Amino acid sequence: MKRRALLGAAIAVAAIAIDAIALASGAIAQQPPIKIGMSMAQTGGLAGAGKASLLGIQIWADELNAKGGLLGRKVELVVYDDKSTAAETPAIYAKLLDVDKVDLLFAPYATVPTAPLLPLAKQRELLLMGNFSFQVNSKVKHDMWFNNAPWGPADSWAASFLELGQKAGGKRIALLAADQEFAQNLALTAREVAKTRNMQIVFDQAYPPNTVEFSSIIRALSATKPDIVYVASYPPDSAGILRAVNEIGVGDNVKIFGGAMVGLQFAAVMENLGSLLNGVVNYNTWLPEPSMYFEGTKAFFETYAKRAVEAKVDPLGYYIAPYGYAMGQMVEQAVNATKSLDQKAIAKYLHANEHKTIVGPIAYSPDGEWKETATLQAQFRGVKDKNVEQFRSAGRQVILFPEKLKTGDLISPFEAARN
Amino acid sequence: MKSKSTGVRFWIGAILFLAAMLAATQVIRNEYPFFAGYIILQFVVLAVAWSILGGYAGYVNFGTSAFFGMGVYTAVFLVKATGAPLAVQIAAAAGVGALLGFAVGLLTLRMQGIFFSIATIALTIIIETTVTNWRFVGGAAGIQIQRPPVTPPFDTYVQMLFFVQALLVVLAVAIARYIQRSWIGRGLQAIKDDELAAECTGVPTLRLKLLACVISGALMCAAGAPAAMYFQYADPSSAFNLNYSVSALAMSLIGGTAHWAGPVLGAILLGVTQQFLAVTISSEVNVLILGIMLVLFVVAAPEGLIGLIRKIGNWRAGRAT
Repeated sequence: MKRRALLGAAIAVAAIAIDAIALASGAIAQQPPIKIGMSMAQTGGLAGAGKASLLGIQIWADELNAKGGLLGRKVELVVYDDKSTAAETPAIYAKLLDVDKVDLLFAPYATVPTAPLLPLAKQRELLLMGNFSFQVNSKVKHDMWFNNAPWGPADSWAASFLELGQKAGGKRIALLAADQEFAQNLALTAREVAKTRNMQIVFDQAYPPNTVEFSSIIRALSATKPDIVYVASYPPDSAGILRAVNEIGVGDNVKIFGGAMVGLQFAAVMENLGSLLNGVVNYNTWLPEPSMYFEGTKAFFETYAKRAVEAKVDPLGYYIAPYGYAMGQMVEQAVNATKSLDQKAIAKYLHANEHKTIVGPIAYSPDGEWKETATLQAQFRGVKDKNVEQFRSAGRQVILFPEKLKTGDLISPFEAARN
Repeated sequence: MKSKSTGVRFWIGAILFLAAMLAATQVIRNEYPFFAGYIILQFVVLAVAWSILGGYAGYVNFGTSAFFGMGVYTAVFLVKATGAPLAVQIAAAAGVGALLGFAVGLLTLRMQGIFFSIATIALTIIIETTVTNWRFVGGAAGIQIQRPPVTPPFDTYVQMLFFVQALLVVLAVAIARYIQRSWIGRGLQAIKDDELAAECTGVPTLRLKLLACVISGALMCAAGAPAAMYFQYADPSSAFNLNYSVSALAMSLIGGTAHWAGPVLGAILLGVTQQFLAVTISSEVNVLILGIMLVLFVVAAPEGLIGLIRKIGNWRAGRAT
């Protein structure tokens, strides 16, 4: 009888415990999700990178939700297509804030769609996580802006390339830049850096954005006999410039060629250009070199490679996708540390601490850019034609800068490096 | 007598519309309707302005983006150089637009049909390239602008811009309506039907076309001026985006160009659809839907919504008798 009573009591206690757990988990399930709002280029010129960035953010959100979410709540992404223009983003972000009532904001990919949002974020005192914009906060000076891109100080991009050229014995610079916002910003900093380093600019030309034939420009450039050629171009132009260089050359004087050519980071363009890439030193953000692996990096790219096929985005995803994931990681760490969604508290935490991410540690300077640049300058080597898989292995793009991530030295002059 | 009563009805409608817009800015606390509504009203002004030359006179103008962009950059220049208030920005933009319209009229009205259209595209490229190389207004890199404090009774700057754009809508529609019903409209209609015959019968064709260009250009530029403060950012590729030309043309054609109400209806229909699709179907599908709408209207209603409404009205009247 006593045994039965004990058994009955044990069952009752177990039943109460199970009920309590069910109730508690029910309460978690019933809590509304934490909404993170953003627009992302899914059509238009920026769509390729925009989709890859979104996939990186989605992988972060899915993994976080599988672990139980943030502050015990699921994370939901609210995403609209901004068609790659600044014309769409003000209305989209007004909807995100006033209709969807999102808790946190991520900025869209790229500078132009983000530019109208900085004043909005400043006026409403909102945290805005930047997504690969360039110097978009330099005039607005919003203290709750955090760019996920590794650009660092404004002049570091040009400085790193020109320093490599100077170390190789270069003094005469040729600047070739597309007449568009991003390329012109870079050309401007290159001029300033050249001045401070006492380097002579022997050629300085902007070309119209839709230029397809570059042989006359490359001829004019090589006639000035430069030994550093700094190019700031967009994907179609980058391909056109390299084809023209391949056909007519840039001269034996050139020690280093490249710098800021957009497009040479994307699998389709790299596969298309193949061996024409050899010797070019260009910026990048992540490469499969031994120095670039941090906690979670390998696992991220394994997941990305699988999901990229379904999502029909860049199969490599080195350029921007891991930074989308890292942006999520930073927010996750800040929210968990402050145990709140208070935007000022999150911003304060982000400013005050260094954050561990899959792209390495990130610390911010007061303007919301990385304290130290981690923009890579890497040289293409041994690239063969029509083979995208070759870019997954180390050694195809040897990192020359920054020092702490370096995996090799510059091969110079450019003509020698091309072979 | 009938004309006088419709005039009274129009102005009562316009005052009611403005009163409703003003009331909305005072009652609605949510800012999103004003952000989206501003864009729709902006397209109403552009479509109505386009229709004055493209619809009444039959000169297809692809240069809407040139005029719009000039409006944006006139405002940017004034803000940067003098810190001029919004009203001055709009008035100056209208002046610049009128001058540009006059120049375009002089230069291109000797050209007809496809040649005129190509010249207007060339105009966009020339002006965009000039602004791209003009460092004072930001050049290719674009420029960010800080809004000044808002003027009462509005709580936010976007609400104020929304109401200002509503005022521009009333102004544009009133001008288009006046032109349509006056000797100017009849003259432009004659030019559209047969320019040579119109000239022979004493219609002052060049003068009328110049007038249409000036008015259309002034309105387009004025519509562009507040955009600088709306976006708080201007860059040449966004300000001179060909999308403004294509949208203004499509809205006028879908609405119907024979009546001033056509472009208004077309702009509201397309503008609302665009804003709705932008925040519902976030993919290439929204572009596809717009394309399908255009094709459907061109095939099923070549005279636009206005033509369709008239046809239905005639059919009903026919059935009644």
